[in-house]
Amino acid sequence: MTAQTTTPATVRRRRAHGSALVRYGFIAPAVLYLALFFGYPIVKNFTMSFQEYTSATFFTGEASFAGLDNYLAVLADPVFSKAMVNTVIFTVVSIAGQFVIGMALALFFRRSFPLSGFLRSMLLLPWLLPMIVSAAVWRWILEQDSGILNQALSTIGLISSPIPWLSSSDTALIAVVMVNIWLGIPFNVVLLYSGLQSIPEELYEAGEIDGATGWAAFRHLTLPLLRPVVSVVLLLGVIYTIKVIDLILGLTGGGPANATQTIATRSYEMSFIEFDFGQGAALGNILILIALLFSVIYLRANARSMKEGR
Amino acid sequence: MTTATASPLAARRRPPLTSRNSPARRGMRTALGILFVALMLFPVYWMVNASLAPGGNSLNTQLLPLNPDVSGYARAIADQGGNLITSLIVAVGAAVLSLVIATPCAYALAQFPIRGSSTVLFVVLIAQMIPGIVIANALYTAYNSLGLLNTILGLVLADATAGIPFSILIIRAFMESFPKEIVEAAHIDGCGHVRAFWSIVLPVSINSLITAGIFSFLFAWSDFLMALTLTTGQTIRPVTLGLYTYIGTNDTDWSSVMATAVIASVPAVLLMIIAQKYIAAGATGGAVK
Amino acid sequence: MMSTHTSAPAGPVLRRRSLGALAAVPGLLSLAACGSSDGGSTSGDPSTLRVVDYYNTPADDKVIQETLESVGAEVGVTISREKVPGDQLIQKVLQMSSSKTLPDILMLDNPDLQEIASSGALAPLDDFGFDTSGISPEILAAGTYEGKVYGIAPTVNTIALFFNTAMLEEAAIEPPTTWEELTAAAKALTHDDVYGLAFSAIATYEGTWQFLPFMWSNGGDETDLATPEVAGAAQLWADLVADGSASKSVVNWGQGDAMDQFKAEKAAMVVNGPWNITGLQEDAPDLDWDVVIIPVPAAGDDSVAPLGGEVWTIPQTGDEEKQKKAAEVLQKFVSAENQLVMGAARNTIPSDIEAATTFAEEHPELATFVEQVSTARSRTGKLGTEWPATAKAIYTAFQQVLVDGTDPETAFADAAASLG
Repeated sequence: MTAQTTTPATVRRRRAHGSALVRYGFIAPAVLYLALFFGYPIVKNFTMSFQEYTSATFFTGEASFAGLDNYLAVLADPVFSKAMVNTVIFTVVSIAGQFVIGMALALFFRRSFPLSGFLRSMLLLPWLLPMIVSAAVWRWILEQDSGILNQALSTIGLISSPIPWLSSSDTALIAVVMVNIWLGIPFNVVLLYSGLQSIPEELYEAGEIDGATGWAAFRHLTLPLLRPVVSVVLLLGVIYTIKVIDLILGLTGGGPANATQTIATRSYEMSFIEFDFGQGAALGNILILIALLFSVIYLRANARSMKEGR
Repeated sequence: MTTATASPLAARRRPPLTSRNSPARRGMRTALGILFVALMLFPVYWMVNASLAPGGNSLNTQLLPLNPDVSGYARAIADQGGNLITSLIVAVGAAVLSLVIATPCAYALAQFPIRGSSTVLFVVLIAQMIPGIVIANALYTAYNSLGLLNTILGLVLADATAGIPFSILIIRAFMESFPKEIVEAAHIDGCGHVRAFWSIVLPVSINSLITAGIFSFLFAWSDFLMALTLTTGQTIRPVTLGLYTYIGTNDTDWSSVMATAVIASVPAVLLMIIAQKYIAAGATGGAVK
Repeated sequence: MMSTHTSAPAGPVLRRRSLGALAAVPGLLSLAACGSSDGGSTSGDPSTLRVVDYYNTPADDKVIQETLESVGAEVGVTISREKVPGDQLIQKVLQMSSSKTLPDILMLDNPDLQEIASSGALAPLDDFGFDTSGISPEILAAGTYEGKVYGIAPTVNTIALFFNTAMLEEAAIEPPTTWEELTAAAKALTHDDVYGLAFSAIATYEGTWQFLPFMWSNGGDETDLATPEVAGAAQLWADLVADGSASKSVVNWGQGDAMDQFKAEKAAMVVNGPWNITGLQEDAPDLDWDVVIIPVPAAGDDSVAPLGGEVWTIPQTGDEEKQKKAAEVLQKFVSAENQLVMGAARNTIPSDIEAATTFAEEHPELATFVEQVSTARSRTGKLGTEWPATAKAIYTAFQQVLVDGTDPETAFADAAASLG
């Protein structure tokens, strides 16, 4: 839009009007995609939890309305409270571990050194392996008698008898969390590193002049500037972690004796092993509710910071 | 290895040779880095070890594969070549599509005062929470009517369901701290929104774009559910499905499975290395000045 | 919110494709809303039959493909086969069910037949005048739902006790035939890093499958879990683990893992199936092994193992012509000659009683399995669609016994109570 010999008000109005369309145009493709690919599934996932949905429904398309029956049944299930506790432990410990280690590694990689780029890319290897392969390898590593972890630990002298990582209800959850942390580290490292790299070096140099180095620089310079990235990494971490099924099913199948059952694995079991899709959907929606809680916190904090400006 | 963007301030960013950056220190960092990564990647090493073991399981495996048995690799190379190419095309396609759709949206949500942007953000978040199987089931029916089953395009569109919402969230988080002053300066000079976006915002946000692109690629690369649902296995098969040639209901040919995973990782890792080189340090710094 | 004037670079191109997909949205919703609409949409070509199964691995794939193609040629149709990964088959079947794209011939794992048949997606084989004579009644029962046969299994399998002949000779032990002998042998064979016995007690249907021979041979029944016979079987397992004759890891092993232990000579005996024979010959050619039927509680008892294997069904596609053709193909597919061919290639046992006898003579290494199959029982015979819930209750109970040390009687009483 070039400057024209019209009144400034007209120009502004024209620019503003054109601008509005252009601005909506930026989000149009995304909104269209979301509507097409997610609209129906979101609705269906929600309504399925209020229906009596069995394998017959897939064939006939008929599913009677069940009100809150599915939710009540799900809450009354004896494994539910255990699954809920496991979900909370699994999520909280996984995210704490992944984030702390991820942040430490991201900070470590901040200053370049020979091979740093190569090493950072190699860190992504765990994400390139199919889950069925990672689960199998970890099962071999954690095997009580012949697994390399126990062998290493006893060679160093840390343990006297082999730990039944995956076959004891005391240690199974710990083992599964360990593997999930391993899996989540690359995600955190890459995102946090990218965020760190967007902070200009000059700020640190200026801070140094003021005497802020090391931990103080981290607290007062890095963290505040990194806040948007940190909050989205944590939020996505929560959303992805509570949904994890493949890892747990591949390592323990939810056992032993339900020691590693989470709401997500129960949802899968309900649907595809017990063929009660209504209850499976109800469990799925409970997970969504939990994730929504975190999302709302994120959106509120986000809106506040946008108003505050920077 | 701070590859500088095309800014005259690049020259200033060469790190001063203080004791913090002496060659000895950098060498030590490299050593530490190798140690950390080696620890993280031990299971991957174990997988390679298992792929070379006769019988393919690691029960009697030594720490080092001293008697390598490459029959698994022979089988994998013979069977999976085409599948590997399919995987690469679909993953790259999904990554590109995700970036193309998500980046303008992320920018708008971060910078424009649009009515309903929090609703869009909310929907994006919800989209991430839906179990994949629900989406796959819905897409199956639609694809069947549209004839999109067994097509690369269909898979690219479907795999982007993981990449697009994610990319919107990540890029938006990065763009929140984008200095508005630059864009306003451009507007005053007569640049429209699109020009400003294309010429100014994108180059400066290259970090977030690469990062989002990498993960969109990874999501599509490791996708199994969409591939399983939206193909019938006769024409196109990504590697994640091709693996099942070796996985029977009761017995699994682990050495071929592991060999396939190893071989499949190689081109993907190369892509990662190339992509990560472009994550530049302090890309936004100095641009305001 | 959606603007028609977009100047974002990718707008117009994407929109063309998106509009096409947009048409699908009302289509999507209407498909879900309406029930069984106008019949099937199998592939357009009238002389092609679609088959779906889970035979991915080369050994199974090849023989199934060849057999299907040759019988297809006899009937005058071409076969289009889709292979699905094993544990995703049910998901696929449900998807095809809801989008009315069920194949003309569908293979199912036999315990899943009840569930799919109950949904109305399958046609009773009687409708096509299918001849099932010659097949053992128990095997027919595995494919029966509410008195009608829906699925036919050309070959079946079961499990028996593999043992390492060298290790047993060294310890001067005879292959066990009773539970006492089994416990003693397992204990005697345990030394260093070798366990006497390996089995799968995992918290999935696979674990229940391994538990059944011990439960059934002891007189236990799946219709009433709170009995001493059922608890006794779990006690046997608990004793073996407590003795140290079986690893604690059995609670996390699938059958494949247990077999791996045997192949790596970390277990002297293993409860497993005939599908391992090719693997044993390839991966452990120096291992001398043999098979006996699963030990029974007391000498003279019947050794009752579960019936495994896949059944072939004819879905309700709405296309009667194709269904008739499919029935013809299926009838020839399960002929005695084909059973012998498929059985030999896949190391499974023919279902036709006479063919099975011939088979045992031609393949002595599978003779034990033929014997075990002759007394085997189908899992869903008594419980039908209630089987999955019972199977789950069973594995939950023995997991509690093995992992938490719960008393077997209590664990199975709880299991029975949970079934209501």
